[in-house]
Amino acid sequence: MIAIILNGVEVQVEEHWSVLEATKFYGLAIPTLCYHEGLSPFGGCRLCLVEIGEAPRTKLISSCTYRVEPGLIVRTDTRRVVEARRIMIELMLSTAPYSKVLQDLASKYGVTRQRFKPRNDECILCGLCVRMCAEQMDGRAIGFQNRGHKKKVSTPFDRRSEECRLCGGCIYICPVCQLRCQGPQADTALCNACLTMEPTCLEQYDELRCWMYDAGRCGTCVQPNPDQSK
Amino acid sequence: MPLMKPIVDFEKLKEIRAEILRDRKKRKRTITVCGGTGCHAYGCLKVAQAFQREIKKQRLQNSVEVRITGCHGFCERGPIVVIQPEGIFYQRIKLKDVKEVISKTIKNKKIIDRLLYVDPETNKKIVYEKAVPFYKKQRRIIFGHNGLIDPTEIKDYIAVNGYSALSKVLSRMTPPEVIEEIKNSGLRGRGGAGFPTGSKWEVTAKAPSPVKYIVCNCDEGDPGAYMDRSLLEGNPHSVLEGMLIGAFAIGAQEGYVYVRAEYPIAVENISMAIEQARKYNLLGKNILGSDFSFDVFVSKGAGAFVSGEETALLASIEGKIGVPQQRPPYPAQQGLRGKPTNINNVETWANVPFIINKGASWYSQIGTNGSKGTKIFSLVGKINNTGLVEVPMGMTLREIIFDIGGGIPEGKKFKAVQTGGPSGGCIPQELIDLPIDYESLARAGSIMGSGGMIVMDEDTCMVDVAKYFLNFLRDESCGKCVSCREGTQRMWEIVKNITDGRAKMEDLALLEELAGAVKDASLCGLGQTAANPVLSTLRYFRHEYETHLKQMRCPALVCKEIVGSPCQYICPADQEASTYIALIARGDLAEAYRIIRKDNPLPSVCGRVCNHPCEKVCRASETGEPIAIRALKRFVLDWAASHNLKPSLPSRELKSEKVAVVGAGPAGLSAAYILSLKGYPVTVFEASPVAGGWLALGIPEHRLPRQALQADLDHIRKAGVTIKTNTVLGRDITVSGLFSQGFKAVFIATGAHKSMRLEIPGEEARGVLKGTEYLKKINLGQKAELGRRVAVIGGGNTAIDAARAAMRDPSCQKVMILYRRTREEMPAFSEEVEAAIEEGVDIRFLAAPVKVLTEGGRVIGLECIRMKLGDKDESGRRKPVPLSGSEFKLKLDTVIAAIGERADAGSLTKGESIDISQWETIVTDPETLATNRPGVFAGGDVATGPRTVVEAIGQGKLAAESMAQYLEGVQPVREYKLNRPSLYVEPMELSAEETAKASRPKIPRLTVKDRRLSFREVIQGLNEAQAVREARRCLRCDLETEDGKKAIGKNT
Repeated sequence: MIAIILNGVEVQVEEHWSVLEATKFYGLAIPTLCYHEGLSPFGGCRLCLVEIGEAPRTKLISSCTYRVEPGLIVRTDTRRVVEARRIMIELMLSTAPYSKVLQDLASKYGVTRQRFKPRNDECILCGLCVRMCAEQMDGRAIGFQNRGHKKKVSTPFDRRSEECRLCGGCIYICPVCQLRCQGPQADTALCNACLTMEPTCLEQYDELRCWMYDAGRCGTCVQPNPDQSK
Repeated sequence: MPLMKPIVDFEKLKEIRAEILRDRKKRKRTITVCGGTGCHAYGCLKVAQAFQREIKKQRLQNSVEVRITGCHGFCERGPIVVIQPEGIFYQRIKLKDVKEVISKTIKNKKIIDRLLYVDPETNKKIVYEKAVPFYKKQRRIIFGHNGLIDPTEIKDYIAVNGYSALSKVLSRMTPPEVIEEIKNSGLRGRGGAGFPTGSKWEVTAKAPSPVKYIVCNCDEGDPGAYMDRSLLEGNPHSVLEGMLIGAFAIGAQEGYVYVRAEYPIAVENISMAIEQARKYNLLGKNILGSDFSFDVFVSKGAGAFVSGEETALLASIEGKIGVPQQRPPYPAQQGLRGKPTNINNVETWANVPFIINKGASWYSQIGTNGSKGTKIFSLVGKINNTGLVEVPMGMTLREIIFDIGGGIPEGKKFKAVQTGGPSGGCIPQELIDLPIDYESLARAGSIMGSGGMIVMDEDTCMVDVAKYFLNFLRDESCGKCVSCREGTQRMWEIVKNITDGRAKMEDLALLEELAGAVKDASLCGLGQTAANPVLSTLRYFRHEYETHLKQMRCPALVCKEIVGSPCQYICPADQEASTYIALIARGDLAEAYRIIRKDNPLPSVCGRVCNHPCEKVCRASETGEPIAIRALKRFVLDWAASHNLKPSLPSRELKSEKVAVVGAGPAGLSAAYILSLKGYPVTVFEASPVAGGWLALGIPEHRLPRQALQADLDHIRKAGVTIKTNTVLGRDITVSGLFSQGFKAVFIATGAHKSMRLEIPGEEARGVLKGTEYLKKINLGQKAELGRRVAVIGGGNTAIDAARAAMRDPSCQKVMILYRRTREEMPAFSEEVEAAIEEGVDIRFLAAPVKVLTEGGRVIGLECIRMKLGDKDESGRRKPVPLSGSEFKLKLDTVIAAIGERADAGSLTKGESIDISQWETIVTDPETLATNRPGVFAGGDVATGPRTVVEAIGQGKLAAESMAQYLEGVQPVREYKLNRPSLYVEPMELSAEETAKASRPKIPRLTVKDRRLSFREVIQGLNEAQAVREARRCLRCDLETEDGKKAIGKNT
């Protein structure tokens, strides 16, 4: 066991854990889209970003790919983290506007505007399907093609793959292409109909000591959403 | 010679070197031909073969050797040939020069003048390579041997002391000593991040693993950067030697050179070098007889920019997709195949043998405190001496760009330099004295990167630059992180919208927010720096973004969708040049006339005296001569006049608010005309007896016949404008008085015609005239008393007009112009200067008056002084400096001072509570031309200072729009629109033959004899056939926009 400082509290964690595993163990809800317990970490969706290090030289890292190290200072919900997550949600939502998972995340994070032109790729390239196929199904039927803005998930040469056993694992694990948002499907690509979800304690805080079972209840951390207060 | 036998110990290496050198001495001369990639493109291989053939033919094989070497760096001047040992530097050698070089230079030691490099500063020819300014200020350590050795010959490398550092390390040093030496040298990684190399080696050396690797990173992918390529092509053994030393220090058994497959010569040369080194036992088991064993393999990359990132590079070597991984674990802990791996850039490795040979203390003397040694930069873009330069760290940008790079081509202005490739940033002109090292570049918002330097001149649009790099990055992002993949794509989309004139101001805020998030949230170096092109251009060139967004203007005329056809874009009067030219090409002259008249109240005037900014930006001039736009316009106007064509006036609703315009010059008349078309009753008050302002009073008839002006004036009057002459502001009328007479708005456009004084003794003497007053007199038909010998002082249009008018005065026998700079700096239109010279005006450049010589209060002469051009001043022109002792006297009867005019608004508007600037101009809001006094607007020269006719027309039109808004009771706001024609005319098909023949027509002029003593118009019009032929030559830039492309084929 080693000690890290999590949101201002020194906690003990297993050496082989990632930062995400450590935060999970201590009950902190960190949003993820490309992470799955049964698969290798990827670090593509950039939602599990946390801030590490000491001011002024802190930086954002994806907690799913970053291994804990002794004395590591981790802050999970600083303003910088939340703002970065908001942009990531907005970016992903612009490519998969009908995804319920993303719409819910947008609601939760108070993303109330879609400023990019919706593209409806219905894919956020999180790579869960690729890893599911390779690591759990031992299939390797699908993979990434190209790079940059041309990147996509497909079978080799876009032909039907001999390796594919039609197990459906890829579809099962996809966070965006299955669950459709049932809210109003306007061009704005944001429904925000689910803003009535569980009250959340998502607002920014640097160090907070009520983070275990009191999340949101003590009242100190619940601040008005900056977008709504405008 | 014991070639290709393993070298078994250190002594043997020395022996071989001595033997090679002995063998070399037999041949006296070596012709080195640069074999860099640039020179390859110029055809250096053929040149080298020709040399070989010629040498054989002339039986010189035993005394002369031809060697294809590595890159000499001066790519601009390729193919480069240097004759050693003298170092005679020949540039741009062609096949036909080969024979002469052999017979003259090699055989007879004669220098061939025309093949030498000419220093553009001094215009002197330079014989020796080391004297060329491009090389003089460089310190070529790493590149030093490139020009001497054949990269495919290990012997050449051994001859220049190659592998002696390896020999030293293996025989006398321990690995920790080597690391210590590198640490002490202060060498930092040349790949971009600048991590201290020694420390990096130490970490890998200390990593507990029996198996370790080293890697040479030659995945050079920045646009415009090719120094790593050149090094690997030109001196592969130096890289190998560096790697061998590194491997020894770190304890690695295998090394990889990761190089792009699209660098075929680099791949070939390094592979050959590895082969040769293996044969010499410089690679393999028990190197040089020691117990150190090491081997190197080449790994070819497929050309993904992201594979230069070290974790992605390792993935690529392993055969996986080049995608970066989270660090830690760092490659030094877990790298290639999970083993500790040390990765360095090509240039870093090449530095190592020099540090070992000459010592850390020698090396650390070069450079700055934090950055040691030299750095190779790839100097490209808008620069005279394109090429690779190696300079000590800490050299300023000015030295690199101007002293070594030779400055900007065509005398254009330097604007910015982009360093560090797509992850770098743009450094603006203000920071030109920045010493270049890792820290200073980072502070300026850029990075060293691998050393790319893209120089940009005034014709570069910085928003377009950002778009270019974003386009590169959205292609080259690995696509793993949302932030980078989607972020670069969306940033590109926003910037593209800005360059297309389709974005809103809030998009700029979004762009900044997004740029911050991309930088913050991305996994690897590529993503973390992907926003730099945006952030650095925003930091230094935010105004350019704002100009694109708010005004839909691209000051550099780059962004196609915004600019449309440059001729229309640049015209202050919004003349749709490309449209009427297209109509002329189709023979529809009546429609062309309508289009011209639609936007310009004074087209007959403009067709003759406009300074035609349209022709300066005409895209046809990029490959030939610009379209003769002014002549085409005049042709249409002349045609309309001869066919008695009268333009129709649009129907309008008459309004009651009276408007007063003060000044019947181009600005006043244009405002009056447009307001009148909008239905307002307009009265123009003019001080002089005639309307037209400077067009009637200043420009002599040989340039602008009065009937042309009259035609435009008639049309303006027909539109309902009343012109009252002989009414002077401040004497007969006042602004307040106009308001009390019932005028609801006033536009002041009184011009700027107060002649500036010479400020020399004797200026008050009789016979010293002011240029403007002289021109006014002759234009009003009054007598101007000129003597027999006349000197005009000045270099502007007034000076030329005055001189040419004086030439037409029968009492004048000699007319000269004194100008203190040279012809190049003359502000007068060059065609006017040319015509003046033709007519016999004696222009004396670099001469300035000191004193007017008088006798009895009358001019008898002028004392002058010679000038020379000094350094450039703020305006970019070279300042004239008097040469003391060079005074001379001229015998003269009349001196006309025409050194410039200025406005005189203060005395005209005294007591009117209108703000006046220190230049005696009226202060206006440039967006609306409103003055501080409500209802009072001002424009033209009285607000801007002396400008051109067409600018005055533009000001008048702008004022009219603002005044109309004011009269309707709304706050005037300037409306900006994308530059589009009102009509798309179908393009013409030109036959190949016509295209080949097409050229600008020679504009006919009166013969010099006919011009004598006559004010007949000098420039004549084109005939219809000439005009149509010229119009067909137009490239039709208006069809290049998306709208234009859509319109083709729709309205035939």
